[in-house]
Amino acid sequence: MGGYGDVKLLNDDGSRLDGRAIDESRPVEVKVGVIPVADGSAWVKHGLNEAVCAVYGPMEAHPRKIQLQDQAVIDVRYNMAPFSTSDRIRPGFNRRSREISKVTAEAFASTVMVERYPRSKIRIEIEILSAEAGTRCVGITAASVALADAGIPMRGMIVGVASGKIEDTVVLDLDKAEDNYGQADLPMGIMPTTGEIAFMQMDGDLSMDELQQAIDYNFTAAAEIHDIMEAALRAHYDGGDE
Amino acid sequence: MAKQVVPQLLRQHLANLADDDERISGRGQWQGRDVVLEVDCLYNADGSAKVVWGDTVVYVGVKFELKEPYSDRPTSGSLMCGADLRPVAHRKYEPGPPSPESIELGRVVDRGIRESGCIDMNALCIVPGESAWMVIIDIHVISDGGNIFDAAGLAAIAALRNATVPASRYDVGEDYKLAVALTPIICTFTRVGGRYVYDADEEEELGGAERLSITLGDNGSMHSMQKGLKGTFTAAELSEILDVCKTRCSELRDLVDSKVE
Repeated sequence: MGGYGDVKLLNDDGSRLDGRAIDESRPVEVKVGVIPVADGSAWVKHGLNEAVCAVYGPMEAHPRKIQLQDQAVIDVRYNMAPFSTSDRIRPGFNRRSREISKVTAEAFASTVMVERYPRSKIRIEIEILSAEAGTRCVGITAASVALADAGIPMRGMIVGVASGKIEDTVVLDLDKAEDNYGQADLPMGIMPTTGEIAFMQMDGDLSMDELQQAIDYNFTAAAEIHDIMEAALRAHYDGGDE
Repeated sequence: MAKQVVPQLLRQHLANLADDDERISGRGQWQGRDVVLEVDCLYNADGSAKVVWGDTVVYVGVKFELKEPYSDRPTSGSLMCGADLRPVAHRKYEPGPPSPESIELGRVVDRGIRESGCIDMNALCIVPGESAWMVIIDIHVISDGGNIFDAAGLAAIAALRNATVPASRYDVGEDYKLAVALTPIICTFTRVGGRYVYDADEEEELGGAERLSITLGDNGSMHSMQKGLKGTFTAAELSEILDVCKTRCSELRDLVDSKVE
């Protein structure tokens, strides 16, 4: 969290700079099967964020030392394209993308039925094409749809959502300015079908009451985005029901 | 890149098809796949394009940075073109530092654009010896369904022709359109079943041999050639390819023209 309250982020009527209400998410669009050579794939646009995800596998886990005898290994790579931010980023892994990849992999290892595929590997490749705050959440949403498209059994789809705090007000789904100058950010990976949380990070400053408000916002938004994901999958496979 | 097993059955099948003047996809020898080009499609890039070419999907983003010019060319800007064949694009690609395949792709596209002279490098200079624009072209292959060279080359020139120099972001004046005088186009031919075909797909590349990539400029002059992969060819084969190449390059140039004003 950057500026801590010295930048105005709320209008006088209580709305946000981009006109959203405090409990309003940016629009979300989902497309299935955008990467023809992958076993499953998805494209998600969330506000100005854009991500694609490919799933490969289950396949034999190489090298053998990474194999688990009783379950599949979930191998996630979260990567930002060099042109995805306003200042170009040098290609390649960095500490931030490694950390996000690790916790995202652990989230999916908890929801995919990994015990069905011993000694194998499921690769989840998340590529961020455009980044405007909240890319790890968009990546998680895209990965869930790509896993479903690949036909990999899981207990539910994880939806990436975030709430935060700007000008001492809890708001849903921070945009770039709100993320840069806000006071807190709480990204979560929620499975609306079971009510479980598979992914959570937080930074900034939140009271216990504010935390509860942020969690409530996240659960409501996750259920709405889950509907969009499901509709996109149905449209891809049934050619309708949208 | 993981070594792929080449099924002998596929090789034999491709050879049998070639004997009957057929291809595995049902296309003619010099017939390409459908190409969909979209420009200005990435929010944070200064210029961008997406090409869907059969099962191949490539994004290209152009960014600008202010740099001190090289001391031997104090009034010249610079150009950098790189490609990343990330594991998202195919199960054969592995994570790690840029592979030889990525580097070759980036450099072949780079040469076609650079040598065509489509960008006036001196026009990129702001203060001689102090600051000049560096144009950075990043090729991001999302799906490798064969012939990524042509898809990447097309997306790269389309993204360049669509690029805006972000001068206001660097406090050096107002934004302006990058001047791109020419539209170099790359065409790739692959030996499949013993003969050359244009625009090989994934299976043809797997069961095929060497490839020839040729970049032609607007007036038909040649700006770059590259022979890659295992195999040899004859001068007669090259001259046959060049005839096809001329036609195809001008068709693709028209496609770019239709998408960029």
